Amino acid sequence: MPAVETHGLTKTYGEVKANDDVSFTVERGEIFGYLGPNGAGKTTTIRMLLGFIQPTSGTAEVLGADVHDRRALTERKHDIGYLPDTLGFDEHLTGEQVLDYFAGMRDDSRRDELLELFRPPLDRKVETYSSGNRRMLGIVQAFMHDPDFVVMDEPTSGLDPLKQDRLRLFLEEERERGKTIFFSSHILSEVQQVCDRVGIIRDGGIVALEEIESLLQRSGKEVRVQLATPVDEDGFVTDDMIDVEVFDDAVHFTYTGESQTLLEHLVQYETVDVDIGNPQLETIFRHYYEGSREPSEEGDDGVEGGDEPGEPQGSDANGSVDGRSSGDGSGEGGASGSR
Amino acid sequence: MTAILRNEARKLLPGSLALVGLFAFFSILYFSMYPEFAGDAEAMEGVVDAFPEGMMEFFGIEALDTIEGFISAELYSFFWVLLVGIYFAYSSAGTIAGDVESRKMDLTLSNPVSRENVLTQKAAAYAVPLAVLNVSVPVMVYVGSRLIDEPIDPVSIVMVHLLSVPYLLVCVGIGLLLSVTVGRERTAQVTALGAVFTLWMVDGVSNLDTDYEWLGYLTPSHYYSETDILVHQEYAFLDAAVLLLAFLLLYLTAAELFTRKDI
Repeated sequence: MPAVETHGLTKTYGEVKANDDVSFTVERGEIFGYLGPNGAGKTTTIRMLLGFIQPTSGTAEVLGADVHDRRALTERKHDIGYLPDTLGFDEHLTGEQVLDYFAGMRDDSRRDELLELFRPPLDRKVETYSSGNRRMLGIVQAFMHDPDFVVMDEPTSGLDPLKQDRLRLFLEEERERGKTIFFSSHILSEVQQVCDRVGIIRDGGIVALEEIESLLQRSGKEVRVQLATPVDEDGFVTDDMIDVEVFDDAVHFTYTGESQTLLEHLVQYETVDVDIGNPQLETIFRHYYEGSREPSEEGDDGVEGGDEPGEPQGSDANGSVDGRSSGDGSGEGGASGSR
Repeated sequence: MTAILRNEARKLLPGSLALVGLFAFFSILYFSMYPEFAGDAEAMEGVVDAFPEGMMEFFGIEALDTIEGFISAELYSFFWVLLVGIYFAYSSAGTIAGDVESRKMDLTLSNPVSRENVLTQKAAAYAVPLAVLNVSVPVMVYVGSRLIDEPIDPVSIVMVHLLSVPYLLVCVGIGLLLSVTVGRERTAQVTALGAVFTLWMVDGVSNLDTDYEWLGYLTPSHYYSETDILVHQEYAFLDAAVLLLAFLLLYLTAAELFTRKDI
């Protein structure tokens, strides 16, 4: 029995399809990435899986429980953990009291162990928490009952890079222990780092279900090279480079080959500056998934305004994707390629 | 599995204690006023005249010259029936709507608890304000009446509180129903406040005009008469049963709607 199986899951709000015929399977013991820009419908899917909203049509089974069968789904929640994108804790409670509150409804056998890894200030009221502390408290509550299956919606939001690494390692250990993770994110690089398989959602529909390796090959690296002398385009450009733009002594391109080959190629030239980063999600969509679905305009923003309240509306998802990749991109070029 | 109940009850405690404080203040005020007022026929007439015509009927006030009638009018007709009723409806209207709005409900329902269970625990938490108010206020009234040497029958004091419980539960039911149907916490609360106030007004108006008497039957306060209990020692148990039934219907409707609701 897979952890999750959805069949034609659809949710419409008036004319707008927040989820349109979404079908995928999450196998036991894998980290499944659910990747898509803000407003694509990721949270809508999650909310249907957890029984918060009813599908307009289609169905899904979570750990064998049909989402239409409220009683069965409620019972299965002993084995399900959830880290929402917006963490609605009781603000006037301390972190400790929040965990006690959840412990009143389910097991908390792993609480102490988790609190050694993720350390929110338990004796302080949640209203004084930073977003990172909030997220850590959310992680602890999501895993403290040692669930078989954990749904994580934008789990790294608010975490500093060190804590993000800690979370990544923790999730890999959980996978080793046979746990299944549903990892929803709009950040390509973190999905690439941690997930085994990825479902890509755009405008409410699944555009691709891929092994992470093939996504890595497809996505490539965004490379900017500044050379000491003007570029000889014919000599410089190889078959692995696409979207090449040459500006006198600078070249921008997307590299689809092996990192090692790229580095060997670059050392032949006298370079002033090299920046290797992850491409923007939209770039990947443009290259590989164009035509899979008709991109809609602002249409579903309104729906997702209610759907994903934690995400600032109107802010561009790519800003964050870009921000991540330029921040740690150059150092990460080889690392993520070697995964 | 009483985590939600305990959490909700803790949140209701400060409001309940504030209301107890308010009643303590007004008890002191009215019990200290009464002896002077009762001994002065002119002052009494002045107060009765001060009520615009119809006001006595509107509030169901009788026998203002007795301590029972006086306290019933001053303490119960307005403060208990309207103010406490509004408090119960207003705060219960926020319970579900507020949690849905703040996304707290997502975390709650990610636990192995059903929506019916959540609603039941939230409703059950009102046992705390009901107990706090219905224990402390009757004690204050009894002690107050003894202190000024105008003792009120303790049985009727107990009954005026006991029989108000179904009425206050109906106010909770109104709040819960609005809480699962109205999307925003603030809107649900203001609507609940307006609903209880309007029902109370309708009941008052129906006392004035026999043409509108039937309208009174649709209001919860019609089934709770503090004056009948305190002044005449008439205890309308059947009316209390009607209110309990109304609460049950409101609660079941709210539960049914909540289980179907997209949160």
